[in-house]
Amino acid sequence: MHQLSVRSVIKRFGDVTVLEDFDLDVAKGEFIALLGPSGCGKSTLLRIMAGLESLDSGAIDIAGRGVTDLAPENRNIALMFQSYALLPHMSALENVRFPLRMRSKLSREEQREKAHKALELVKLDHLADRYPRQMSGGQQQRVALARSIVAEPDLLLLDEPLSNLDAKLREGMQVELKRLHESLGLTTIFVTHDQSEALGLADRVILMNRGRIEQQGTPEEIYRRPRTVFAADFLGGANIVELDVAKSSRSWRGRFADGTEIPVASAPGLEPGKHKFMLRKEAIAFNPDKSMTAIVGTIETQNYLGSQTRSAIRAGGVELVAVTDSEKTVTKQRETRIGWRPEELVPLQM
Amino acid sequence: MSGDARRMGREPAILLAPGLFFLLLAFFFPAIQLLIQSFLTVGAEAGRLTMEHYAKIVVDDFYAGVALRTFRLALVITVLCLVIGFPLAVVISRAGKLLRTTLIVLLILPLMTSVVIRTFGWLVILGPGGVLSWSLQQLGLIDRSISLMHTETGIVIAMVQVLLPFLVLTTLGSLGQIPVSLEEASRVMGAGFFRSIRHVTLPLSVPGLASGSLLVFALSISSFITPSLVGGVRLQVMAGSIYQQMTGSFDWGFGAALSVVLLIATLALIIPYMVVTSRAGGKA
Repeated sequence: MHQLSVRSVIKRFGDVTVLEDFDLDVAKGEFIALLGPSGCGKSTLLRIMAGLESLDSGAIDIAGRGVTDLAPENRNIALMFQSYALLPHMSALENVRFPLRMRSKLSREEQREKAHKALELVKLDHLADRYPRQMSGGQQQRVALARSIVAEPDLLLLDEPLSNLDAKLREGMQVELKRLHESLGLTTIFVTHDQSEALGLADRVILMNRGRIEQQGTPEEIYRRPRTVFAADFLGGANIVELDVAKSSRSWRGRFADGTEIPVASAPGLEPGKHKFMLRKEAIAFNPDKSMTAIVGTIETQNYLGSQTRSAIRAGGVELVAVTDSEKTVTKQRETRIGWRPEELVPLQM
Repeated sequence: MSGDARRMGREPAILLAPGLFFLLLAFFFPAIQLLIQSFLTVGAEAGRLTMEHYAKIVVDDFYAGVALRTFRLALVITVLCLVIGFPLAVVISRAGKLLRTTLIVLLILPLMTSVVIRTFGWLVILGPGGVLSWSLQQLGLIDRSISLMHTETGIVIAMVQVLLPFLVLTTLGSLGQIPVSLEEASRVMGAGFFRSIRHVTLPLSVPGLASGSLLVFALSISSFITPSLVGGVRLQVMAGSIYQQMTGSFDWGFGAALSVVLLIATLALIIPYMVVTSRAGGKA
């Protein structure tokens, strides 16, 4: 049985359709990322799940119970806001106890004990009596997280959980979120526009575009096998090259704009004609070996990034960007041979 | 550099000067004069030190009654304004733009009407054979015509109407500063609509409620025209008695003593209230 099921949800704001016939099933214990650019409908979907936004048609079930018409307080879920939404007139402990006060029948002492345990889980029990304004952003977020898990919700929703933290805290919090999810097993859905967060945290990434699911799958599937230009571009950026594909004898060949020909791996649905392909920046290598597809290119600019170097290379009449290990990067010459494994050239739908 | 630093201190003083000057001239100066006058005799042997004016307030039941009535009325009016004003402010703060503007205009409309017209309005409604009396009779709740004119209830009703906007507008200021996400968060955490208001909205509006109720209290304790017109001569309040002493009986010493008592009693109530509420609000 599904822990969450979203069926044919349609949501409009005036003339703008934010969600178009949206379907999503989430199994118990899954960790899901809703990924997409701003305006793709991911935050609206989260608010609809929480009951903070109405829907125009469709249905939502949580833990096998129809909740479409239930008010937020009757859904037994938790939502961590992007702004954390801590209650400023209550201490950290009182904030964490709030859902228990509203929902559980435990005694005051038992509630305090449970709230304290939740604060221990996020390693903040030593600041239980502090007020939100006396805490740093990272500490406030931990309180918000403790408050979200304390009442054992059927569904944990996180709205841009890491976007208000600086880079260093963000890394630590990613580890923390993953650890919490593994130890508590809460069905978790989080919204993000940051592909590295989605890939690093989720079991399954739902890539959204204009109110629809563009593509979904495990982080690896979605990164390595994007199906559309949008997916390829949104996840990590990539070289999108257009090749004129033709079948000669039994194998496929693709021709660059300047006439350079390369072999193309056969794929279902591949037909002769102009076709777009994705080539990840990290897939390009200097000094290719025999197993690779190789062409000649001209290095135009190079940026040293530390362990890696980014090179802009003119090859086949187009500009390709390559990100390679710095010690394996050719730097002294302009003309060079570059290459990639044949399967790294991924055909995309138009 | 040092010149700049010195000017930094002077600029606020310059900005403060007009207000401070006006306050000195119109409040502190007359207040001190009243204080002096309240201890001086009047009449044939004018100018001697005396406590007779204060003694009269304590001894004469009539004036003790006036003082008590004044504070009781102010307290009831303030509490009623809080009870009616807070929910109203919550509704206005959540209403759409059009409804919001309409409600605010309706709310402050009475303030733009002359006190005389307003009072005659209440006479038509509260007076003998008025709208209220007639309606209650039609509903069979009373069998004789009643009048709320010249009653304390009448004064309270008329005063609440005038003072409600002060409470609602200051509370709206506080409500506007509460992020919507806090109430949404409390709903998601299991608090229903009313519990959400009780645990989140109400505590976070304390600063606005406090300043609003102070304003209402101060205005009603010193009010003079509405209580005199609605309450009549029998139901005197302190401001009315002071007016009468000063302009009717020309007993300036006694009038001054009444004023001093009113001022001190008001401060004695307001200062602790400010301390307590600012502490409660400071937590927010």
